[in-house]
Amino acid sequence: MNQPSSNTDKEPLSVELTEVWKKFPGVVANAGVELAVERGSIHALLGENGAGKSTLMNILAGVYRPDSGDLKIHGRSHQFRNPADALSAGVGMVHQEFRLIPSFSVAENVVLGSAPSVIKTGRVESDVAEMAHRFGLQVNPSQPLWQLSMGERQKVEILKVLWRDAQVLILDEPTTVLTPSEVDELGQILRRMADDGRSIIFISHKLHEISGICDHATVLRQGKTVAKSLPMASTNQDELARLMVGAAPTLPSQQKGPPPGPALLEINNLSALSDRGVNAFSGINFRIHSGEILGIAGVAGNGQRELADVIAGLRPSNGGTLIMNGTDITTESPHHRFKSGLAYIPEDRLGVGLAPRLSITDNAILRVYRQQRKGPFISGDRAKSYCSNIISRFGVKAGNLSGPIAALSGGNLQRLLVGRELDGKPSVVVASQPTRGLDVKGVKAIQDLLIEQRNAGAAVMMISEDLDELLAIADRLLVIEGGALRGEFDPQTASRQEVGMAMLSDKQTPTNL
Amino acid sequence: MRRPRLSLREQPLPGGQPLAFGIGLAIALFVGILLLLGAGHDPVKIYSRMFEASLGDPNAWSITLNRAIPLGLAGLAVAVAGSMGLWNIGAEGQIMAGAIAAAWVARVGGDWPGFILILMMLIGAVGGGAILAIGPAVARSKLGVNEIITTLMLNEVAIRLVQWLIHGPWKDPDSFNFPLAPMLPDQARLPTLFSRAHFGLLIAAAVIVVASVAVRYTAWGYELRIAGSSEATARYSGISLPKKILTVLVLSGAIAGLAGGIELTGTADRLTETISNGFGFAGIIVAALALMRPSGVAVVAVLFGAVQIGGQSIQTLGVSSSVSTILQAFVLFGAIGAGVLSRYAITFDSESHLTAEAKS
Amino acid sequence: MNEASLVGLLFATVSFGALLYLAALGELVAEKAGVLNLGVEGMMAVGAVTAFIAGVEFQNPWLALIIAMLSSALLASVHGFFTVGLGAEQVVSGLSLTILGLGLAAYLGKDYVGLPPGAELVPVEWGPLSEWPWVGPVLFSQAPVVYLALILGITVSLILSRTRLGLALRAAGESASSTDSAGHSVLGLRLSAVAAGGALAGASGAYLTLSITPQWAEGLTAGRGWIAVALVIFGAWRPGRVGWGALLFGGTLALKTRLQTFGVDFSPIILSMLPYILTLLILLIISIQARKRPSPAPAALGLAYRREER
Repeated sequence: MNQPSSNTDKEPLSVELTEVWKKFPGVVANAGVELAVERGSIHALLGENGAGKSTLMNILAGVYRPDSGDLKIHGRSHQFRNPADALSAGVGMVHQEFRLIPSFSVAENVVLGSAPSVIKTGRVESDVAEMAHRFGLQVNPSQPLWQLSMGERQKVEILKVLWRDAQVLILDEPTTVLTPSEVDELGQILRRMADDGRSIIFISHKLHEISGICDHATVLRQGKTVAKSLPMASTNQDELARLMVGAAPTLPSQQKGPPPGPALLEINNLSALSDRGVNAFSGINFRIHSGEILGIAGVAGNGQRELADVIAGLRPSNGGTLIMNGTDITTESPHHRFKSGLAYIPEDRLGVGLAPRLSITDNAILRVYRQQRKGPFISGDRAKSYCSNIISRFGVKAGNLSGPIAALSGGNLQRLLVGRELDGKPSVVVASQPTRGLDVKGVKAIQDLLIEQRNAGAAVMMISEDLDELLAIADRLLVIEGGALRGEFDPQTASRQEVGMAMLSDKQTPTNL
Repeated sequence: MRRPRLSLREQPLPGGQPLAFGIGLAIALFVGILLLLGAGHDPVKIYSRMFEASLGDPNAWSITLNRAIPLGLAGLAVAVAGSMGLWNIGAEGQIMAGAIAAAWVARVGGDWPGFILILMMLIGAVGGGAILAIGPAVARSKLGVNEIITTLMLNEVAIRLVQWLIHGPWKDPDSFNFPLAPMLPDQARLPTLFSRAHFGLLIAAAVIVVASVAVRYTAWGYELRIAGSSEATARYSGISLPKKILTVLVLSGAIAGLAGGIELTGTADRLTETISNGFGFAGIIVAALALMRPSGVAVVAVLFGAVQIGGQSIQTLGVSSSVSTILQAFVLFGAIGAGVLSRYAITFDSESHLTAEAKS
Repeated sequence: MNEASLVGLLFATVSFGALLYLAALGELVAEKAGVLNLGVEGMMAVGAVTAFIAGVEFQNPWLALIIAMLSSALLASVHGFFTVGLGAEQVVSGLSLTILGLGLAAYLGKDYVGLPPGAELVPVEWGPLSEWPWVGPVLFSQAPVVYLALILGITVSLILSRTRLGLALRAAGESASSTDSAGHSVLGLRLSAVAAGGALAGASGAYLTLSITPQWAEGLTAGRGWIAVALVIFGAWRPGRVGWGALLFGGTLALKTRLQTFGVDFSPIILSMLPYILTLLILLIISIQARKRPSPAPAALGLAYRREER
């Protein structure tokens, strides 16, 4: 436990990052970023996906090392080699993925890594309780963690960092797992910590929550600081959104296909839970029509992934119905939905869509192997020719077709997956982040495939974190935020700013879905 | 400080698992030389004797192949389950259960003609092994109970069942109070193929071929491999996991049971406590070395059998059987290590640890 | 059935119980840290033979015990290297360790078969306590290893529940990544746990050749290593419960050879199935209960941990 030395008591800035650069292969994540956090303040770090927020905070927390730049904590320069270094300088991070142990008690989780040699359970628990009380965190130290809700577990994560006497706390998107009242509670807790002289950096994209909680905001865009330490009291949300999204000119959208036909997929009042047991999304209503690409825009983690899983049949819904081509498929298995004409391109390519340890051919026939049976056998010839067909039609560069699928590059993996799904001429296509991580050629190839399907009369639903992509190829755009739909836009006429701001706000804009 | 770390290679090293086995063998032989020298033996003489006795002439081959039968079938049993990510540690007990069932059939049908008797015995053996595996199969399929422990415990139960039968209800009245099961009927003996090798070789080979073909080329085998590769992908493509788990574990037990039946009718002349002789456990290692692929089990089993037979043969030269046991263990560890290194490379950390967070 | 034979039975129960408990305690420590070690039988054999050899060579039972513990710890470290260091399959490595251990024990001991013991751990004299009717001959006339087992059991339990080391060790068995993030070395914790497990298994083997059956012969361990593995599960990974289980299983071992003297016409062989059947039942119960609360098994048991960089 470090006590700040006396001469830093006078230093008003607890964190000062200057000219921080960090490059990864193929991308510059941080390009000379600047950040200054005042002592005892709550500071928001804002930016879209890919703006560089997480990278910057990982540098501050000692997970990454910057390529260059200056890092000062309470006026003293530091070079963190690992998170332990950062912790001893007083910087602690609460990640989005909790690092907690369900079978341990709250107190055991809090003290793991910094426990005294001999643990007197009663003493430790009361110490933890005292610290919790000091900051308004209501937890029962002796309770086993698995009994706690996500919001309560987050409190334990915060306690962990406080226990190590962190003077600078970084919270990465903390409100995604909280209910609205828990968000208010968190705000109060953070305020108490700030009053205690600690500094908090709050990564978020939820502007409406931040204005209530934070004192200042720094906005990052494309790896650079576009606004530094704006006082929240005198800045409005729209301004912040504009700064985050930028005034980039809207890219010209490509030619539209034929006018859309009847609705092939109807989603009525659909709700579902996330893995953590809270509502991932609820009360969602929309339709997808034949001959249109419906884009679903949103920051990651707002329910899109779960929505795609539910439509594909991999996750149960807990309310509402799904109607495809006039038939209710709400409780049908994924395979049945495929046979009825629903193709799914999952976000998790190698984990869900493809079997990682099997061959290319084996993966290619995943959807159709039952039709390739000759008695109990799968006809090797038919499998091979089917696979070759997919390979050539969809431009997959593959060597030996009996070789392991893991040998394919990301772009080719995706082409294979997409090709396999689209081969059956589906009437509905659900594509979740289909171009993520691909190079320019790969992105174009996949986009072209989806457009082709649209032109042939399929109803295509495309979920993407890349707003520009959706603006370029979608016919209609819905924005999802916090598990609900926040607006419908026409990509031909809507501005990037408009849509971008809808992604960040909790306001309902009138829609005709 | 730079810490060494294992990171997945882009491509496994060429030669992969067979090379790993080869390296393991080489390390073992080297250690063996030291052990033999330490005990005052001449390594060259010992090793050449081992080779002669196991692979030197058709007679040696026949003995080695006989040994490869239970090793191969046990290995197959484990590999079939292993293709789906399940561990059947109970092959040892299932072999015994198979032998018990076969012996029971022999008691009942002592005067049946040879062909019928042997056929029924082997069918009984298959059933016996399957029955022992049903408990763990259901427990895993319906309750998610880890099959490693359930199959392991049933090994011990099966061993004691054999002991009880031999000491109790099945004790041979003519054996002068020694606890022995009675000799099997004369006609309950598999015919000889060549030299000392018996017909069980063909049965085992056929089973291995059928199983390999099934796993590799049938729809059932395809679904097995999908389920073994990724549960999520299996659900995605409509495969019912609980049903598969149940059938695969029972089938695995059945194959191991067959091994017991073949041992009884091929090599042994009566049911004994040592009928399974460690084959069940060796089978796990055979399967692991064959990377859980049924098609690789045959070769590994023959090599393993050669090592075991060679090890036995040098006892007449005054080398204790323990040397051969230790050699086997070194082969295993050598192969395990080489196997890991063929898939993972040793790299040195310059960044700090923790999974790279999303680059945003 | 008379008093003397009942006392004898109870004495043997405690004695066998301690034998099983030591090995099981060692396996418990390893499994709590997340490493399954199916090589207990091999480690016990090595402990048994090195204790006997050391006894013959040095005539000091305590030295023999220590040497046995060190030898088994060394052997266990082979398993640790492959599973924790290289991330190899724990099941395969453990079984290979059993083969290695049994082979090594036979090899080392071949010149010592049939020899009289050089050192023995004689029962401790508790003075008047040993004269206490019933309790005296059963509890207060045991070899020192028995009391050691009890002390170790309490020590392990306290370390696991009340020290920083114990917390870290348990964390490594529940979630390696969380433990790593908290600043502990998962590698170091698991390797130490495996070695400690080996040492305790070695102590168990040493107890065998220095006290219970003071001689060496191949196969002396007779499958008790497997009982120890079962015992850890039976006791739901808790040192106290494992202790009571050890007494129960020890009782079946003791009863096996005494059924006739008690005039009970029950097959001792069937009796010896009991520990395994009981373990299966407990396992089923745990699994059914696991629907409502987490299983007592360490969550990361059997899983290799490799720090990945994406």
